[in-house]
Amino acid sequence: MTTAGLMFMAASWAVILGVSGYAMWRLIRGD
Amino acid sequence: MSERQAWVTRWGLVLALAGNAIGLGNFLRFPVQAAQNGGGAFMIPYFVALLVMGLPMMWMECAIGRYGGKHGHGHAAGMIASLWDHPAAKYVGALGLFIPFTIAIYYVYITSWCFAFSVFSLLGSYDGLASREQMGAFLGAFQGKEANQHFSSVLVAYGFFSATVALTLLILRGGIAAGIERLAKVAIPTLFAIGAVLVVRVLTFGTPDPAFPERNPWQGLGFVWNPHFEALADPGVWVAAAGQIFFTLSIGWGIIHTYASYLRSDDDVALTGTATVGLNETAEVVLGGTIALTAAVTFFGVEATQDIARSGSFDLGFQAMPVVFQRIPAGSLVGALWFLLLFLAGITSAVAMAQPTVALLEETWGVTRKRATSLVCGALFLLAQPVIFFHRYGFLDELDYWIGAIALVVFALLEVIVFAWIFGIERGWAEIEKGARLMPARLFKPVLKYVTPAYLIGILGFWAWGELPKMIALDGVPAEAQPYRVGARWMAAALLLATFALVRSASLRWGRGASRFVK
Repeated sequence: MTTAGLMFMAASWAVILGVSGYAMWRLIRGD
Repeated sequence: MSERQAWVTRWGLVLALAGNAIGLGNFLRFPVQAAQNGGGAFMIPYFVALLVMGLPMMWMECAIGRYGGKHGHGHAAGMIASLWDHPAAKYVGALGLFIPFTIAIYYVYITSWCFAFSVFSLLGSYDGLASREQMGAFLGAFQGKEANQHFSSVLVAYGFFSATVALTLLILRGGIAAGIERLAKVAIPTLFAIGAVLVVRVLTFGTPDPAFPERNPWQGLGFVWNPHFEALADPGVWVAAAGQIFFTLSIGWGIIHTYASYLRSDDDVALTGTATVGLNETAEVVLGGTIALTAAVTFFGVEATQDIARSGSFDLGFQAMPVVFQRIPAGSLVGALWFLLLFLAGITSAVAMAQPTVALLEETWGVTRKRATSLVCGALFLLAQPVIFFHRYGFLDELDYWIGAIALVVFALLEVIVFAWIFGIERGWAEIEKGARLMPARLFKPVLKYVTPAYLIGILGFWAWGELPKMIALDGVPAEAQPYRVGARWMAAALLLATFALVRSASLRWGRGASRFVK
C-alpha cells in the first residue's frame, strides 16, 4: 500500500469511527 | 385503534435501523466498488454523496416515519398521504411498500445461501474444492443451475430457503420490541464482533505463499485503498459512489419510515439517523473494506483479484472466500463465521423488508400480527418460487435491476420532492429538529431542498442515458433466458399494480376511520 492509500484509509476510518462513536455515546448516555 | 407498538430503547431502534441498513452489500459490494472506481480516491465522491444525500435523507425518512406514526401510519403510503393532501400521494407512498416486499422475495433466498454455506463450512462439505472454478461448480449446483456430483437438484437450497422464511416469520411474530428489537440487540453486536475477529485474522495472514512475497494483506489493503485520482474525472465513478451510498443506507425503500414510525413524538430523529449512518459506515468501510478483497489479494494476487472483482460480489463471497478458508488453519470455523456474518447482515435486513406490509395489514384492516406475518411470509414464499427455479435464467438479476436499482431511486426522488417542496422545507426541517439533542447543521436544509433532488435526478439521468436502453433491449442476455427475464418484469409490474390496489382499498378505510389520519 502506498502512503497515499494508507492516508485515505486512516482518514476514512477516523472520520467514520469518530462520528459513529460520538453518536452512539450520545444515544446511550441519553437512554 | 389499539395502542401502537414502540421500541423499548432508543439504541435498540438504532441497532434495528443499522440491522436494516447493514446487508450483504456492505461486505461484498463496497470493496468491489471501491477497488473498481479509483481505490482510496473513491472515498471522495463517496463522502460527498454521504453528506449531500445519505445523511439528510436518513434524517428526512426518520422524520417522515415519526410524523406518520403520530398520524397512525406504520407504512410509507399513509405517511406520504399525511404529508401531501392529494389523491396521488398514496400511490407515491405505495412504492415504499412495493419496493421492500419485492426485494424481500429474492433477498430472503440470498440470505438462505449464507445460512447454508455457514453449515457447509462447518461440515466440510466443500473441502478439497481448491479453486474458484470448483467452488463455482459447487455453488451452481447448489442453486440448481446445473446438476453435478455435489448436488443433483435445488432441493437442499430449497430446504435452507424454507428454514430462513420460517425464521423470518418467527421473528416478525414477536413484533417490534420482542421480535425485531430483540433480534437486533443480539445480531448486530455479534456481527460486529465476528467482523472484528475476521479483520484481525485477515490482517495476520502474513505471506501464505513464499514464492509470491508481494501477496500479503498490506498489498491487499493497497488494492482497495491506493488512490487513482484520474478516476475522479469519470462521471461514472461519482454515480457509482452515490449508488453505493444509496444501497448501503437502504434509503428509498420505505423501511426506515416504518421503523421510525414506532418512535415517540419527541424522540430525536437527527441523532438516531446519525448513529445509524455511523454504524452502517463502520460495518462497510472499516470491516467490509478490509476483509474480503484483502484476503483475495493475499491468496490469489492482484491480477486474479481484479478478475474476481469484475465477476461480481457473489463470486467474491461464495467462491473466492471459501477457497481462502481452506488454505488457513481452522479454516472451516473461520469460513462458518464469515457466512454467519453475512447471514446476520441478511436476516436483519430481511425482517425489515417484510415489516412495512405487516404494518399495513395490522393497522388498516385490524389483522392480528400472527395472521399478518403468516400472510406476508406465505406470499414471500410463494412468489420466490420462480426466483428459485428460474435462477439460471437471471430471473433474480432482472428483478434486482428494476426494483433494487431503479425503483428505489425513483421513490427517493419523489419523497424528497414531497417532503422538501410540497410539505415544505420549513415544516420539514422543523420536524427533523423536533426533539433533537444533536442539532443538525442548518446548511443541510438547502442541501435537502436543492442538492439532494438534483443528485438523484443526475443518477437517474445517467442510468437512463447509459444502461437503461441496453437493459430494456436485454442486450447480452442469451435467447433462451429472455422469456424468463420478461416474465420477471411482468411479475414486478403485477406486484406494483396489486400494491396500488391494496393501498387504494386501505386509503378508503383511513378516510372512513378517523379524520385524525389527515393533517
